[in-house]
Amino acid sequence: MPYIKKKEMIAMLLAGGQGSRLGILTNHVAKPAVPFGGKYRIIDFTISNCVNSGIDTIGVLTQYRPLELNAYIGNGQPWDLDRLFGGITILPPYMKANVGEWYKGTANAIYQNLEFIEMSHPSYVLILSGDHIYKMNYKMMLDYHIEKGADCTIAVLDVPLEEASRFGVMNTDDQLKIYEFEEKPPQPKSTLASMGVYIFNWEKLQAYLKADEADKTSENDFGKNIIPNMLKAGEKLYAYEYKGYWKDVGTVESLWEANMDLLNPNVPIELNDPPWKIYSRNGILPPQYIGANAKLNNVTISEGCYIDGEVENSIIFPGVTVKEGAVVKNSIIMPGTTVGADSVVEYTIIAADTIIGSKVCMGACDGILNDGKHPEITVIGQGITIADGTMIPAGAMIGESILDKEEQ
Amino acid sequence: MNALGIVFAYSDRDNLRELTKIRTLASVPFGGKYRIIDFLLSNFVNSGIHEVSIIARNNYNSLIDHVGAGKEWDLTRKIGGLRILSPFSTPGVTENMGNYLGTIDALYKCMHSIKRSRAEYVILSGSSIIYTMNFEDVMKSHIERNADITAVYAKPREGELLPQGVPMLRMDESERLYELNYSGDENQGQILPASLGVFVMRKSLLESLVADAIAYGRYDFYHDIIQRLCGNLNIIGYEHKKIFFEISSVSGYMKENMKLLDANIRREIFEESVYTKVKDSVPVQYCTGSKVSNSIISDGCTIEGTVINSILSRGVIVGKGALVQNSIIMQNTEIMRNVTLNYVILDKDVIVRENRQLVGHETYPVVIEKKSIV
Repeated sequence: MPYIKKKEMIAMLLAGGQGSRLGILTNHVAKPAVPFGGKYRIIDFTISNCVNSGIDTIGVLTQYRPLELNAYIGNGQPWDLDRLFGGITILPPYMKANVGEWYKGTANAIYQNLEFIEMSHPSYVLILSGDHIYKMNYKMMLDYHIEKGADCTIAVLDVPLEEASRFGVMNTDDQLKIYEFEEKPPQPKSTLASMGVYIFNWEKLQAYLKADEADKTSENDFGKNIIPNMLKAGEKLYAYEYKGYWKDVGTVESLWEANMDLLNPNVPIELNDPPWKIYSRNGILPPQYIGANAKLNNVTISEGCYIDGEVENSIIFPGVTVKEGAVVKNSIIMPGTTVGADSVVEYTIIAADTIIGSKVCMGACDGILNDGKHPEITVIGQGITIADGTMIPAGAMIGESILDKEEQ
Repeated sequence: MNALGIVFAYSDRDNLRELTKIRTLASVPFGGKYRIIDFLLSNFVNSGIHEVSIIARNNYNSLIDHVGAGKEWDLTRKIGGLRILSPFSTPGVTENMGNYLGTIDALYKCMHSIKRSRAEYVILSGSSIIYTMNFEDVMKSHIERNADITAVYAKPREGELLPQGVPMLRMDESERLYELNYSGDENQGQILPASLGVFVMRKSLLESLVADAIAYGRYDFYHDIIQRLCGNLNIIGYEHKKIFFEISSVSGYMKENMKLLDANIRREIFEESVYTKVKDSVPVQYCTGSKVSNSIISDGCTIEGTVINSILSRGVIVGKGALVQNSIIMQNTEIMRNVTLNYVILDKDVIVRENRQLVGHETYPVVIEKKSIV
């Protein structure tokens, strides 16, 4: 194939998950396409990390609700991935000669696209998932992988011992060579949690994927099958310790928290970082207008917004309107949503293109609970209308329009 | 639409002091994150015209830097697309090097490129007036009324005097042009519709008009084509009823920018998308203690102080205790702690150090040149 150039390392980005724990936020979009951080989508972080690390060939494996994600990625131009050789390619499951099947697991998804990888004939393959928020230089990880002479390197994060049982845990020797991998162990022996970021030698990966596919009892999962099989066979697996901000935004609570982290100067994630920009597809919107009645305190606001109310500790996405007298606190308002006059929105995530009427009260309107924890996060779905004067209790998840006050 | 857009990136009439010292008129920032050229190119693209040539004369580095290959305007095309026509000099000929004797001379020197276009019509536009216009409507009027040339004009705006030297059109009741005047001439005080510098005609007509004029040593488009030929050619006016902004002096520049703080004007100018260079800046951060009122703020700004009635471009930093009022602040400028600004235009990459005070007046804003440190 003459239109392909050999690449040192290409990335395969697993973006097929539904993210069902995000509830109604993923009714319309796959989890990686959920808006995050004021103007981004979750997947922007991983794609930007690749581009900033010098990786220019990325396959994105999609399965659940791919339309919006596909449209968002497009030809990859916003990430500088509209390339003559390589670039970004969407890889949905497809029909083969006799059969066609969905991606059965993470390993099977890669297996079904072995031909795609082979087109660039890379030396190394980077496996990523599209649902984490972090900034990481994969080139440094590759240097480490080569230096160690590893067959597979797994990025790990040192987590508190009590949290380690939520992750895949790597048990290593003092040279960080992995001798055991435990998926969500009740009694973790180590605090090195897998971030779901793997570098494989391409030849080795290919062999193990083919063997895994032949094993009918396998769950076709990297954590459950491929990694344990490689350990069993005595391959050299190393842990690469990542020190920095990393967050899995799999739940409503963690999505809210990760957004709030951006507003907290003590949390080490800085997006205003010109050499390591997070790129995203920008809407064509004019700059924001801040009205005469606006009061802003520790907030992030994006293009095309019209703000004339009071906003505190919140993330406001592009094209949002907050009318006069409205109060928005500790909340996340996704693109194109309107908050009507004199409404109060607290501890709430409002999805895109929703219209909140006037004098609506949602979320915990009396703030912090007695035990010092914040109230449960209220979630309002995409493209719905909430009628004037509606009261929505904290922790509610509203996926349908509320048009009539009597329904309360 | 089967038309070629031609934009003159410069103007001989502008008096923008420091603002055009380092850049050509078309790349002067406007409305926060935009440049003048953004509005012009977006008009063409939104009207379905995907072939635009920009005639540049001097100081056009910033213009090239801004528009690049035209990607953001969807003008990176195999067929048509964006072309920047820069002046070139023939080795050995030093006369008028890098300059044009007039608009006709500029068109003549760019004729090699204009002739190559397969478009049937041309739409000419200057850079000193920012407008939103649907050229499909103009073209419809041009064809329906069997015009040789369509000249877009606007009725004078209430209470505003035209700057010196703006061409004004005298038309009969069917909008046929019969005479051209200039503002500031003996007819001062007369209220005449002013030309917006936008003309539509067949490309073949433009080619022959330019060739004829050059043969007789005539270089001024208004004087030597519009005025001289209005008896022979069917030159029809087309009234632009929507908003426009005239950028010809520093105080005017400030006044026109500030109009964007009016919601109705914003709605009108941003009704159709206005494209600009994407910088991937972060959203604006408003820190604790910031106070912002009636202002336009672009992405990438960090606000710790107070901003009132002002327009900020991308990446501006306003420090704690600073007070920015009635001012226009351009890209990546830093205003440090306790600075006071009123009626000031800070160009790109300016630093205003702690406790400085700069105060201009509505009629004469202070302009601080690019990369200055105050």
